[in-house]
Amino acid sequence: MIGVAVAIQVIAVVDALRWLRVAQREHYIAGSVTRFAWRWWRVGIGLPLRGRTSKLVWTRRMRVLAFLTVFLHVGVVIAFAALTPLIVASLISLLLVPATVDGALLLATPIEARALRPFVEQATKKLQTIKPTIVGITGSYGKTSTKVVLAHLVEGTKTVSASPASFNNRAGLARAVNETLSPGTDVFVAEMGTYGPGEIAALCEWCPPTVSIITAIGPVHLERFGSEDVTLVAKSEILETASTVILNEDDERLAKLADTIAAAGKKRLMRVSATRVDADVAVIADDDGGRVYENGKLVGRVATLPTAATNVACAVAAARALGVPAKDAVARLANAPVASHRLETATAASGAVVLDDTFNSNPAGARRALALLSASGSPGGRKVLITPGMIELGRRQFEENAKFATDAAQVASIVGVVGRTNRKALLKGLAGTSVEVKKFRTRDKAAAWVRASLTAGDAVLYENDLPDAYK
Amino acid sequence: MAEALVLFGGPSPEHDVSVLTGLQAARTLSASEALYWTRAGDFVIVDASLEGKDFADGVPRGAKPARITVGGGISVKGGMGREKTYDSVVVNCCHGGPGENGTIQATLDLAGVAYTGPSVDGAALGMDKLAFGAACASAGIPVLSRVAFTDGTKPDFDGPYIVKPRFGGSSIGIDIVTDLDTAWARLKANPHLARGAVIEPYRPESIDLNVAVRAYPSLELSAIEKPTRAGGDIYSYKEKYVGGEGMATAPRELPAQIPSHLEEKLRGYAREAAQVAGLRGVARIDFLLDGDTLFLNEINTIPGSLSWFLWVDPVVPFKQLLDDMIAEAAARPTAKYSAAGADGAVLRSGASIASKLA
Repeated sequence: MIGVAVAIQVIAVVDALRWLRVAQREHYIAGSVTRFAWRWWRVGIGLPLRGRTSKLVWTRRMRVLAFLTVFLHVGVVIAFAALTPLIVASLISLLLVPATVDGALLLATPIEARALRPFVEQATKKLQTIKPTIVGITGSYGKTSTKVVLAHLVEGTKTVSASPASFNNRAGLARAVNETLSPGTDVFVAEMGTYGPGEIAALCEWCPPTVSIITAIGPVHLERFGSEDVTLVAKSEILETASTVILNEDDERLAKLADTIAAAGKKRLMRVSATRVDADVAVIADDDGGRVYENGKLVGRVATLPTAATNVACAVAAARALGVPAKDAVARLANAPVASHRLETATAASGAVVLDDTFNSNPAGARRALALLSASGSPGGRKVLITPGMIELGRRQFEENAKFATDAAQVASIVGVVGRTNRKALLKGLAGTSVEVKKFRTRDKAAAWVRASLTAGDAVLYENDLPDAYK
Repeated sequence: MAEALVLFGGPSPEHDVSVLTGLQAARTLSASEALYWTRAGDFVIVDASLEGKDFADGVPRGAKPARITVGGGISVKGGMGREKTYDSVVVNCCHGGPGENGTIQATLDLAGVAYTGPSVDGAALGMDKLAFGAACASAGIPVLSRVAFTDGTKPDFDGPYIVKPRFGGSSIGIDIVTDLDTAWARLKANPHLARGAVIEPYRPESIDLNVAVRAYPSLELSAIEKPTRAGGDIYSYKEKYVGGEGMATAPRELPAQIPSHLEEKLRGYAREAAQVAGLRGVARIDFLLDGDTLFLNEINTIPGSLSWFLWVDPVVPFKQLLDDMIAEAAARPTAKYSAAGADGAVLRSGASIASKLA
């Protein structure tokens, strides 16, 4: 009997490791593990311990979490052993591992906050000494692209530093300031991410933006926010300290927010748009690239837009607010860099054009990628879409994926559906179209097929890549 | 041979390239640790087997905070609260900014640490395009007309012009303009020109010719390199460095195919310039060839990849180059400050301070 109980505990350890990995990938948010476990048991597929998209990394934070998990787990076993036979208690503890990890996450939250405090204090002091003008960027999507373009536009006029890649939470931003902010920096561009109300407000307490941008509000991470209205409230916290506010008015909610801010009359408001020329700054995409307008007047044109027009408009507006001459901003747009894995174009050895949009996971970005696919390769070539669909869209996930698939059918001749997470939705959207559908278990399998099948003149779009937890 | 500690990074626009130079040097020296100067200006000891990408977003994992103390050298906190002090020659692989303009050199001098590359004076002179150009001209080396450029400056030559930061180690911040109005406007708009700018005539037809020089064990010149431009107006920072490997893989003709009388002239000027610069370590001297006329353009006192790839004739392997620099650091120390002569006589004989002020 003891032997069986020990065997169950060994399984529990292996099980705990994979849930710890989920916890790490899900940004250590308490509750996320149980939610995932629930999904699994419903879909009935296990998560491999060593994954492709993320490995368990034994950081200090993970060690603390593992320790707390063991501590709680032992507590669970002892508690149930008092009520039931040892084997039953062991089995219950095994089933409860995801909940135990979530419990440990909850316990770890104050410990983490305390551990971070000296780093945040150091960063605060550094910002107070260097005194850069801080630009805060948030939004459901387009944050990183906007940041990269903005930094490039300002570079010719001021010394500028941008927070790296997706260092957009408390720990990441403190690290960016402590480790990369040079003493002579005029402008610091900070990307601010949030999974719930209060987080951005906390960031702004020690990293207060003077210029704030909200790029878009969309159905991203809806599972964590609940609704797009809650998302808006959480993102709006970035505006509190700002004297200049830049909002993408093409987004209905942000347009309303802009009206409210205009009515209050306390901040300089810049409305940007990709459709309305009369906006404070407008960037209109056309067949020859894009046109940049300021207050309805054409400032210049650019042959290719580095990212979605609304993101470019946000960046141009912020650059203007920071004192970059309009002509210089437009001139610099021409050689603005593209954020990596956000819609990059390459040509494979076979001669096929490869569009890599694997980091995107939002409907607007997906539509833009489809437009590029339609213009890529030679006119007679095959157009291929490889995608597992989009995730974290809450209740709208099925609908959005079906719609995306239907849109894709207008452009692609072959659609490769990866995994099972959104398979039904994608197939529904493709039903009744003339598209050839292929199903792949993993992206690697799909990529192998692409390499073997496509030749010069063909084009393939890899849209989104799901973390391992989704299959 | 003294132990070597490679220093790279620094709060400079050329931070990233310096990381590549530094890692190449550390790898060549089989060093286990290196001294990394962060973009934020802190010093840390890092594992020398790291790759460039480990430095892309900040300080790599496992870095240990280091200190440079006046008279106390370079140290890190070891286990059990003990300090570990490095008794090594610093191999300076910093490009641009405070790593190449005399700042870190002065810091190391005060800390009592021997280092490779230029001394305070050599670094400061080499970083100042105006001063170095003038010093070369006074030594009879042909240089382009180059004058200090401020708002309203009217140089006595015609456009197109090239406006450069007066202090700056690379092509960052360089503007080519056709008229003076635009040039003055750039002064306000271009942050790299804020600390001072120079203006000179732009010669679109000219080609670049570079040569590496070292002074130890004896004055020696590398093969002459002709970088090949990938297009655009100037040989841009991106063309040079954004291939991923740093200068070593940039496109070039090596050795450059130029007439022997020009090569001889260039080599003569380079030797002369090395004297003017107070050369220490390996420097790269850049020339412009316009038709049949040679001009000395500038000196890089800590060039990208330490210009090791230019030493094909004579052949000097990178390891040898580094070893010689480390030996030079010990054999030709930098500033030795002395209070000789200040023997207190003035102090003893003088009247009170109050009477001097009266």
